[in-house]
Amino acid sequence: MRELINMIVVLSLISGASGLSLAYLKEVTAKPIEEQVLLNVQGPAIKAVFADAENDPIADRKKFDTAEGQITVFPAKKGGKLTAVALEAFAPGYGGQIGVMVGIDMAKGTLAGIGVTTLKETPGLGMRVTEAKYQKQFKGLALDKVGLSGKGGTVDAVSGATISSTATVVAANKAIEIYKSLKPKLEGAF
Amino acid sequence: MDYFLMLISAIFVNNILLAQYLGNCPFLGCSKEKGVAFGMGAAVIFVAVMATAFTWIMQKWVLEPYGLGYLQTLVFILVIAALVQFVEMFLKKMVPPLYKALGIFLPLITTNCAVLGIAILVQRKEFGLGMSLYYSFVASLGFTLALMLMAGIRERLIIARLPKSLQGTSIGLVMAGLMSLTFFAFKGMIG
Amino acid sequence: MSIVKEFTKGLWKEIPPFRLVLGLCPTLAVTKTASDGMGMGAAVIFVLVLSNVIISLVRKIIPKKVRIACFIVIAASLVVSVELLMQAYAYPLYQSLGIFVPLIVVNCIILGRAEAFAAKNPVLLSAADGLGMGLGFTLSLTFLGALREIFGYGKLFGAEVFGPAFKPFTFMIEAPGAFVCLGLILAAMNYLAIWQSKRAGLPEPDVAVSCGGCRACAIGESKQIIQEG
Repeated sequence: MRELINMIVVLSLISGASGLSLAYLKEVTAKPIEEQVLLNVQGPAIKAVFADAENDPIADRKKFDTAEGQITVFPAKKGGKLTAVALEAFAPGYGGQIGVMVGIDMAKGTLAGIGVTTLKETPGLGMRVTEAKYQKQFKGLALDKVGLSGKGGTVDAVSGATISSTATVVAANKAIEIYKSLKPKLEGAF
Repeated sequence: MDYFLMLISAIFVNNILLAQYLGNCPFLGCSKEKGVAFGMGAAVIFVAVMATAFTWIMQKWVLEPYGLGYLQTLVFILVIAALVQFVEMFLKKMVPPLYKALGIFLPLITTNCAVLGIAILVQRKEFGLGMSLYYSFVASLGFTLALMLMAGIRERLIIARLPKSLQGTSIGLVMAGLMSLTFFAFKGMIG
Repeated sequence: MSIVKEFTKGLWKEIPPFRLVLGLCPTLAVTKTASDGMGMGAAVIFVLVLSNVIISLVRKIIPKKVRIACFIVIAASLVVSVELLMQAYAYPLYQSLGIFVPLIVVNCIILGRAEAFAAKNPVLLSAADGLGMGLGFTLSLTFLGALREIFGYGKLFGAEVFGPAFKPFTFMIEAPGAFVCLGLILAAMNYLAIWQSKRAGLPEPDVAVSCGGCRACAIGESKQIIQEG
């Protein structure tokens, strides 16, 4: 009996100590991790969208409340003035959600471009939505004309990957909707 | 995803061992005879599927709802270790013949990176429960296939005249590399 | 047993994974480049040294029957810590190493050294053992990574080595190259060991054997003791 109690006590102590230290470590690293994720996951997509921003879109980011929850908006400035914003939207693809960073040129009212942040599509097929050749088609599109060719738009889907391509278009349009609803607040916020 | 496609992919194109590097230690240790290889492979299939089931449930019902996702590694390995203990005790009491066949391999499967690897992989691929179980089954089948193939080759290597330095694990690894190369040919099959 | 001896054995005589054939999965998987190999090695040093130290500190109060469970909890917690720290301060490395960061917990080196050494030896010796093994592992991984990177990409740590005329030997980067490379290095190490022992007039050492279903692995052995005892 004594042995059993001993075992339970030791195991519980060790588990408890481990649990506490890990929870503490999690607290301490939460902020650096958030920054690093933004830098390495969203970062490359943002760079693809804002080639000529004079500020740091990630450092200047702000959160806004929308009907669907909080959304982070990344601004691009030129000469101190807000020229474009980027926000991330998701849509279901073939192998899970596809995250698309959508850049919107505010002055011209067109798409500045898209970048893909996260996806789990089929290699060689759906994954090709990350290629520059596919994403280039989104640059400069009018905001209400973003769709696949044959479905009211001009974007050619990746052959053999209609679902993944549709997902990027759906995500882009979602982002555009959110942008339109936030537009009045954006001007003054940055 | 298409079930047949996944079967082909997991066994040939993305073989868990030859392409994804998971499960090497038992691969080189247990592949000297076909009988041992089959025993290890069967044990891995058995444990991997059950481990995937339990870890998936833990992830979706406990870790995610309570925001404990970062404890995944810790919780998963404990689940696997406990599972293997129970399976051993259960088999010993209830199904002695099976225990005689698989029993010795079970403790080593706790630290088998294939089992923990598959459990974490299905989380990263965001599979549902059914798909996770199916994937773990076919991936372990791929492992068993690689193991059996290797055993077949090594049984013949024992009678070949090899320089002492190359014997044992070294030639095993070189063989594994050549096998992996042949499996590469399957990459053209999909997409 | 001196501290120095425990430390240096991990650097040559029992270097993992080339002589002490453990931890093969990460060895093959993360050595596409020298920097990835080094990063993984650093993570393993962290986990191994701390795990050895902690286990050595508590070795007298852990009951025999729950030994392995305690080792696993301690090692796994350290691995989770490494995951968090890597995400916070070295995210690109975390992305490169992928699934193999959590898999450090089933790296036979960690539990193997815990069971074979830390559970029976005082803290300083255990720390030396961990540090030596960890450094040996890092050196091996960096070496293999450098080899594969130089021939596979023509680069070392990201810097061009051969110039634009070089046609990369892509075989090295993919799985087959990893297996073959490691096998040949193991053969070379065996050859060296045999040659050294011939020079010293000692009997020939055994060729490196890998962990497997045999009782040689401390884990398998101790589980049997637990069942029978």
